[in-house]
Amino acid sequence: MKIVQANAGALTNFEVLDFLRSRGASTDPTRVIAPVAPSEFKVYDYLVQSAVCNQTRESINEFLKRCEKYDLANAEKLNIINIRPSSLVEIDPIIEECEKRMKSEDVEELVEMVVQVLPEHPASVGIERGTDVDKISPDQELMEAN
Amino acid sequence: MFFLSLIEHTLCLPPHLLNLPLDEAIKGELETLFLDKVIPNLGLCISIYDIRDIKDGFIYPGDGASTYTVHTASKIKHVEKWNKDFSANKAFSTFETECTHWVQFRLVMFRPFVGEIIVGKLKSSDANGLKLSISFFDDIHIPVHLLPNPSSLMPNPENKHQGVWSWEFQDEQYPIDGKDEIRFRVHSISYPPIPIEQEKEAKPFAPMVITGSLDYDGLGPISWWV
Repeated sequence: MKIVQANAGALTNFEVLDFLRSRGASTDPTRVIAPVAPSEFKVYDYLVQSAVCNQTRESINEFLKRCEKYDLANAEKLNIINIRPSSLVEIDPIIEECEKRMKSEDVEELVEMVVQVLPEHPASVGIERGTDVDKISPDQELMEAN
Repeated sequence: MFFLSLIEHTLCLPPHLLNLPLDEAIKGELETLFLDKVIPNLGLCISIYDIRDIKDGFIYPGDGASTYTVHTASKIKHVEKWNKDFSANKAFSTFETECTHWVQFRLVMFRPFVGEIIVGKLKSSDANGLKLSISFFDDIHIPVHLLPNPSSLMPNPENKHQGVWSWEFQDEQYPIDGKDEIRFRVHSISYPPIPIEQEKEAKPFAPMVITGSLDYDGLGPISWWV
């Protein structure tokens, strides 16, 4: 076995979920006849109950377009798409040296954009809008290998 | 969490697969070889993403193996070539033919990067720290020094080795009790070498171990921050 390219491109959780769906993975009883292995189903089950289950390519592209002005690293954009933070405290561990790189109004704007653009996790309880927290929906980036 | 990796491999198709379309037979063999297995420094293989190229097979005289290249674009070419090869090598090939193919393909690998935030569930909690799981991957370890500071362990009266870790913040205790999901940051990934010998009572060998950290705002059980 020869590894030609160890990293031929990063995939967002949404892309992996989409790929498994296109192979026939689903949550209803017809899944037993789909050509999907049990280990692949475990990945599918994990992704389907995470924050990415309602995402679409359009929402991810929209996020990527709108987050360009914040000068985020690719890893940070990937984290935001996968986790979908909906408050300042949730986005804090994602952005390195947050206070130094971005003013607090910018971070609030970003959180608001995240919440707007990326679909909400169905199981999450809606976070009440406080005076100090502005939710911003993150733009989602598609990092697909060519 | 996931990356694509481009791999080349020469694989042998056993005789009973030769009646299947070549793509399916090769995909099946690749899945048997790689699916749900850890490749050191590449990660855990989740799925075969696609097959890029299959090169001519060749026949090893004597062992009945026929290996040859097939260009996936044309199945008809494949059949013709196989027939030609078969008749040319009549003297060597037997009915027990095996096909060896050189294949180039992409795998979906689970390999989180350092600094990635992942959501998982609590599997167990003891004096060494926490063990988390994300349904398809279980070997996530949060050692004691990467728990939120200050934390204390409340030992389980029934089982001395287990206990509940609890974070003390502003004079309140926040236990990590596994009721909801836990957000952690990937600290490092290691691929321990396969042990030559293992004791009978030892835990099953983990070829890939993720070390995580909870020591930051926003990490830990989701209910702490939402």
